Amino acid sequence: MARVLTTCIYCGCGCGLYLESETCPERSRRDGMIVGSYPSRNHPVSKGALCVKGWNAYEFINKLDRLKAPLIKSNGGFEEVSWDIALEMVSRRLLKIKEKYGEEALGFLSSAKATNEENFLMMKLARAVFKTNNVDHCARLCHASTVVGLAATFGSGAMTNSINEFEDADLFLVTGSDTTEQHPLIGSRIINAVNDRGAGLIVVDPRKIELAKYATIYMAQDNGTDVAWINAMCNVIIKEGLYDKKYIEQRTENFEELKRTVEQYTPEYTEKITKIPRDLLVRAARLYAESKKAMIVYSMGITQHTTGVDNVKSLANLAMLTAHVGFASTGVNPLRGQNNVQGACDLGALPNVFSGYQQVTDDTARAKFEGMWKVKNLPSKPGLTVTEIFNEALKGNLKALYIMGENPVISDPDSNHIRKALEKLEFLAVNEIFLSDTAQYADVILPAGSFAEKDGTFTNTERRVERIRKAIEPVGQARPDWEILSEIARRCGYKGMDYSHPSQIMDEIAQLTPIYGGISYDRLDPFGLQWPCPSKEHPGTPYLHKDKFAKGKGSFLPCAYAAADELPDDEYNFVLSTGRIYWHWHTGTMSRRTSTLDREVPAGYVEINPKDAEKLKIKKGGRVKISSRRGEIETSAVVTEKVKEGSIFVPFHFSEAAANVLTNPAVDPVAKIPEYKVCAVKIEKI
Amino acid sequence: MKERLLKKDNVKALCVSASDQWETYVPLEGFGGDVQFTKLDNEKRELSLDKLNLNYEILTVPPKVTVFPQLESLFRFQDEKISETVKPKAPILLFGLRACDVKGILFTDDFFKRNFEDIYYLNRSMNKLLVIVGCKHPLENCFCTSTKTGPFLESGFDLQLVDIGNKCLVEIGSEKGQEFVSSYGKFFDEASKDDVECSKIAKRDAEEAVRLRLDFEEAIKKFCDDKVPREIYERIAERCIYCGGCLYVCPTCTCFNVFDDIKASSGGRYRNWDACVFAGYTREASGHNPRFEKWLRTSRRYEHKLKYDYLTTGTSGCVGCGRCLSSCPVNIGISQVIEEVSKR
Repeated sequence: MARVLTTCIYCGCGCGLYLESETCPERSRRDGMIVGSYPSRNHPVSKGALCVKGWNAYEFINKLDRLKAPLIKSNGGFEEVSWDIALEMVSRRLLKIKEKYGEEALGFLSSAKATNEENFLMMKLARAVFKTNNVDHCARLCHASTVVGLAATFGSGAMTNSINEFEDADLFLVTGSDTTEQHPLIGSRIINAVNDRGAGLIVVDPRKIELAKYATIYMAQDNGTDVAWINAMCNVIIKEGLYDKKYIEQRTENFEELKRTVEQYTPEYTEKITKIPRDLLVRAARLYAESKKAMIVYSMGITQHTTGVDNVKSLANLAMLTAHVGFASTGVNPLRGQNNVQGACDLGALPNVFSGYQQVTDDTARAKFEGMWKVKNLPSKPGLTVTEIFNEALKGNLKALYIMGENPVISDPDSNHIRKALEKLEFLAVNEIFLSDTAQYADVILPAGSFAEKDGTFTNTERRVERIRKAIEPVGQARPDWEILSEIARRCGYKGMDYSHPSQIMDEIAQLTPIYGGISYDRLDPFGLQWPCPSKEHPGTPYLHKDKFAKGKGSFLPCAYAAADELPDDEYNFVLSTGRIYWHWHTGTMSRRTSTLDREVPAGYVEINPKDAEKLKIKKGGRVKISSRRGEIETSAVVTEKVKEGSIFVPFHFSEAAANVLTNPAVDPVAKIPEYKVCAVKIEKI
Repeated sequence: MKERLLKKDNVKALCVSASDQWETYVPLEGFGGDVQFTKLDNEKRELSLDKLNLNYEILTVPPKVTVFPQLESLFRFQDEKISETVKPKAPILLFGLRACDVKGILFTDDFFKRNFEDIYYLNRSMNKLLVIVGCKHPLENCFCTSTKTGPFLESGFDLQLVDIGNKCLVEIGSEKGQEFVSSYGKFFDEASKDDVECSKIAKRDAEEAVRLRLDFEEAIKKFCDDKVPREIYERIAERCIYCGGCLYVCPTCTCFNVFDDIKASSGGRYRNWDACVFAGYTREASGHNPRFEKWLRTSRRYEHKLKYDYLTTGTSGCVGCGRCLSSCPVNIGISQVIEEVSKR
């Protein structure tokens, strides 16, 4: 029996948890089994607690259907081959395609589940070895709007404050975040603050989420009308003189433009757009402005829109207006979903930046990376995003894709389009732990080690860089992604990925990445460090923008309201929103292989309002068909007041009733994030 | 009761020596001050024992995990061949338990024998030595004096150590305990009258240090008489986030789920910790669920500990350890329920 302290693989809370492992003397050393997972009592986030997923994280790791050997496509199925053959195939095919079509025909999808070190290597592979900036990952689908919006307004795209600061806040404005479902250890802190300390809570969500029952004010806006209600709050705050003149003067710029833009968003005007009663808008504005330690908390409901960037900028405006940035227990707090989506962004698995958000267009940045990586001519033009990669693949321009730990067939919008794009590729290689729906399309599948089988770091939503530790050897012949990526680089003739341990990769990262400058494995015990951590002595940073914004002065960037891309019409008369639930995780590859979680919610469903159900003669548990312009699915109905009339909600975890068969691939023009939260569908009982 | 003395300086050496004969579990401090019960690895035991911490606050998961792991295999099969994966009986030494946790183990021992003999549990558990190191600094969530499960026990242990400075008074509670002390006699000394007196004072001090005082008997009475207002359950059920933590960490919880993992014609059957607050726990094949509403599941959870366990065994299922509250993300604990029910 052995035990390691590691970080939970599920959400961005980044709870500290222990994995217990057992090696059977009769079995080989490679047959280690994880037999338990439980919380760290002293870890700042978990504090002795975990959500149900963390408590059951031990189970999926040793499932028999883990990929244990490299596979190549053969006769309609897959055939096991040696690592040597598989790796040769990947490197040679990628090089050949590069030679024939140019580096722009290649795409690299990194993984928000993989470690910081692995994300760094993926982007290094794409850039230094294949000379392309076509590297991206699933942040594109979730917080790309945040990265763009907060970088533009504040100069830094990350959560401004820390998780424990929730415990001291006076007020939470929670919008587009079903916090108790998706970030249970943060949602819990909100519940405690509200119930035990009398903190106020404003919830703005078209669905009556769990948190709404604790809300001082609950506003149910129509999907996609966020710029309007946020502008309305600014309108009231300015009109009633509740804004912080001194703060605005000293720390921000462009206030006059904000004032002009929000003038038309009176509560009455906004009620027409959003359906939020004007009195609630006024009360919410006053409550937010007058609370001293007020935290804005948001997630996909704000970001996953064609106006995602505008939504984020509007929240930033609201926070700056009332001096709620740059102090403890305040701020604009995007809750990052995946265990390491923050890290994947930080480490440059993005088409326009290297690690540390250093632009690829910046000559000095390129020169620095060229020097360290010992290459010349790193590509200087921003590459393709995930959403664009699939479009280009479908058009026939992108020929090869290398995907690490992602499942676009289930997670990307318009699944049929994704499947066609994958089919059209000349070459697809996938690093995976299970044979996912996406891996089914691969020419080569490389079996990867899970989080329990390697060392590395994850960065949680509060910018905490924390260790994961190896508990067992990789199962079967699986290898950690960092080893796989290094091998491919080596076989492509590149000598700069010669590491014997992930800590060396982190040392390289620290040299190239100012915000991680002081991070090294010997400094991460016991519970990590929060970036910015620019030097070896720096203790890390609990909250950002203290005294001044990352870019100096914060910029008000006011936005006009624009409706979602596809609203209901006569034929497709319902609004579909998609999202997540507590019991499962994203595309379900891990959670649906966990008995307790699977038992709670064994199959997909759709939430439908009782009045709509009655009109359509749909009963609880009844089968329904949902269709959109992209496709159709069959699923079971859950009749609930949680959704408004005329709206339905489908969680995206279930491949047999996949929400993304229906969703609209329209994206935000700058962030390129899809509009998962609004599209038009029709429903019928079957 | 017979007594001996164990100098603190001898503790490590005793553990090293004992681990030749016994699978020895001791509380070791790990990262950031987390202390967990860890099996001493014969190769690394001296090094590990540098991290021995008998003054720990609490073990996050109770020692039941040593005899009832979170996940264990029941049998494996390959084509037609089936092999039960019962752990061979081996003597285990649990050194450094708290009184409440020993009560927990005695409770689970009884459960796994009561209606059926659970060979997986019993093989791990039936040859064990329980050594209490009594609590000196009860935590704010502890209420063992109300449940009469600590900080020291009158019986149920093999050895009970009372910290009296740079030495511990060793109370021998069983024949097995006596045998152990005899076998490892060179580590133990004679206890003087003075030592015994000091131990009585230490015990009293520990008892007085338990701050949370509840009228536990009154609460049990009300539970058994079904006089618990539904409103209490409803309130808790609304706040609960259904993590299962309170039950996973409970020293007397024994529920488990069974599942199979099969690939082609080989695989295994496993069991893992379950919790009765989950809806799926009683959902029937038809989809009907007699305890679908949250408050019904909450009531099940508390009635199990405070009514049914008591009616079935004569002891309640609560050992006053306060873990459920410590591991609850939304600050719910059985102590609050006991307090409210006893006062109503």
